[in-house]
Amino acid sequence: MDETHFTASAPLTLGVELELQLVKSHDLDLARDAGDLLARLEKVKLAGAVKPELTESMIELNSSVHTRHAALAAELDATRDAVVREAGMLNLQMCGGGTHPFHSWTERRIFPTERFRHILERYGYLAKQFTVFGQHIHVGCASGDDAVYLVHMMTRYVPHFIALSAASPFYQGEDTSFQSSRLTAVNAFPLAGHMPFVQDWAEFIEYYNKMRAFGVIESMKDFYWDIRPKPEFGTIEMRVCDTPLTVGRAAQLAAYAQALAKWILEERPQPAKRAVYLVNAFNRFEASRFGLRGQLIDPFEEAKRPLGEDILDALAGVMPQAAALESTEALSALAADVRRGYSDAGWLRERFAANKSLAHTVRESAARWAGDKPRASG
Amino acid sequence: MDLGFLPQLPPAFGQPALIGALLLAGLLGGELVRRLLGLPRITGYVLAGVLLGPQVSGLLAPGALGEARVLIDLSLGLIVFELGHRLDFQWLRRNRWLFVAALAESAFCFGAVLATLLAFGFEPLLAATAAAIGTATSPAVVLLVAHELRAAGQVTERMLLFTAVNSVLAYVALTLLLPFLHLEHAVSWGEAVLHPLYILGGSALVAFVASLALLWLAGWVGKREDRQFILLIALVVLAVGVARSLNLSVVVTVIVLGMLARNFDYEQVLLPLRFGYGGQLFFVILFVLAGASVEFTAVPAVATAVVAFIVARYLGKSLAILAFGRLSGVRPGSAGLLSLALLPMSGLAVVMVLDTQAMYPAFGGELAAVVLSAVAVLEILGPIATQFALKRAGEADPAAGSA
Repeated sequence: MDETHFTASAPLTLGVELELQLVKSHDLDLARDAGDLLARLEKVKLAGAVKPELTESMIELNSSVHTRHAALAAELDATRDAVVREAGMLNLQMCGGGTHPFHSWTERRIFPTERFRHILERYGYLAKQFTVFGQHIHVGCASGDDAVYLVHMMTRYVPHFIALSAASPFYQGEDTSFQSSRLTAVNAFPLAGHMPFVQDWAEFIEYYNKMRAFGVIESMKDFYWDIRPKPEFGTIEMRVCDTPLTVGRAAQLAAYAQALAKWILEERPQPAKRAVYLVNAFNRFEASRFGLRGQLIDPFEEAKRPLGEDILDALAGVMPQAAALESTEALSALAADVRRGYSDAGWLRERFAANKSLAHTVRESAARWAGDKPRASG
Repeated sequence: MDLGFLPQLPPAFGQPALIGALLLAGLLGGELVRRLLGLPRITGYVLAGVLLGPQVSGLLAPGALGEARVLIDLSLGLIVFELGHRLDFQWLRRNRWLFVAALAESAFCFGAVLATLLAFGFEPLLAATAAAIGTATSPAVVLLVAHELRAAGQVTERMLLFTAVNSVLAYVALTLLLPFLHLEHAVSWGEAVLHPLYILGGSALVAFVASLALLWLAGWVGKREDRQFILLIALVVLAVGVARSLNLSVVVTVIVLGMLARNFDYEQVLLPLRFGYGGQLFFVILFVLAGASVEFTAVPAVATAVVAFIVARYLGKSLAILAFGRLSGVRPGSAGLLSLALLPMSGLAVVMVLDTQAMYPAFGGELAAVVLSAVAVLEILGPIATQFALKRAGEADPAAGSA
């Protein structure tokens, strides 16, 4: 595959990948039945695709390509229903969230494919600790140059997506105090971080070829960046989100990314700015540690402000784009949650405080994923 | 010089020395068998018991079994409780074919063994009794092998589910055969009908009351794993004791207690069950004692019938699983492994034989010898079959080594 060629795709098309937890019904710990579940799902007709992921406790749900939020949400709903039903036949439950709250990483087993074995061999325990569950959002771009610009501009909004999706307060049986502890597991990888500040696709390819010539990477897959171009799809892929607790929220996050991308690509509000990457680590930490209550340094305004406020302003700012994309409802729902301080991480903590058992918290979270109404929220 | 402070010779060793010796023998047997032969530890525990038992060295006197009874009850109680606790009615409701498969597994096994014993010329009623006993898979063996291998997956889950179902059905069948045995012995109709009703209804009632107490108390002590563990042991032992003193079925009582505790737990007060090292102690003792009570002497005399019994039992189980496995969502290839995993027979069957014999001496002689000899053979081969099946199914944790 020639990764230096950027396959143009219809701008602003959307795709979502969701990494999901597979838990056993009897003790709510991670299961190891991904293979059996995938075998069953092969016989079910789905609009998207369901794939194995790094360990036998996870599967990945891929949507097909969409232009509208409503269609994406409907498809995710239908796929979720099918997966939950098939899992039920095997006495398994599916669960959202960025981490499994109490599993022991030493017990994870790598899904037996060539690539995953290679990852285990190369990264050792990091690979097993990487049993975390993220949502990836793809947004279509007309050209590689557009993709490079979009990556740089979207980076300013990375903390928004971290805070809005945060759903991993518990890790290895402990409250981490983070809203998203999953991102910390990603940070450990040597090629985590962000794309260098290149100006266009040609410069990016120069960098990419150099890294390949050094032998640092073999393919684009080796970059574990927050946002990376995906030339074979003609998209940029945002990878910072935790898998939310519901498919509804996953679709809302995608709609927000789409509206932002429309605004950025069509209005070209500013030239890309290197300072974005100076404040990136700080912003990212604030968002994953404190969520909506964190701080954000705006590299364009050079000012610090509450992240929640910044999200509300940005959501309001892209409402015209959302109107054109028929996704105002999705963005309003996100804004309403920000206003009342709701996050999935907060919900998990609240449920744990009420039921005092991480296993039972997982059970409630699985029921929510399956489509039950939440017991409480806020 | 007065040496009165010295004990009389030979010294009388009490319970503590006995239990220590049992544990040590089990530990050594288990490790040796695993290291030298790569076999499951459980097989080693059993072999250690055989060596200590009256059949070989006689170090473990038959009376010792009685003294350790409370330990056996406790360990069997815990195992059977966990098995029941794992039986999820929701799963059976969602996956109807699984329910059918579980029923068929017991029914086919019963039918195959019955037909075989009839072919050997045994009397129908007694053959049916033996077939009922043969239907049950050993809960202790499958659960412990699964624990030690840290196995997880569809074959493991279904093996445990089928074992729970076939253990209960074996007891129910055995109990339902009681009226006929009664009538053979010219007991009144009333007694013949009331007896099984008393056993099944009484066991269910004790289990029901115990499950309510367990859930209520668990809600009261709160979600503390250590407290709940003590509570659980307390109630399981209580249930065992009450069932025993009321002449009810201990196994049915405790397995139903486990099922109800899980399926009535609407408020989610019970934490998932974990035995840890403490549980292991009981299990080692259980299997060493099981080994000590194994009856090998009759094997040569009834060898043909024993082989036929074991083969028919296995074929019955695999036929049902092959027939309904695919419909219930077993992946191709694992149906055979599942049937193999269900092979073990052990102490439970011995207890059933002895209980039946106590009530009806006619169920003795050759037929009891066939069943007990089959147990003796499967006590050794069963754990090996289960371990092989789970490993071959890829559900054992490679880091866990051999069971």
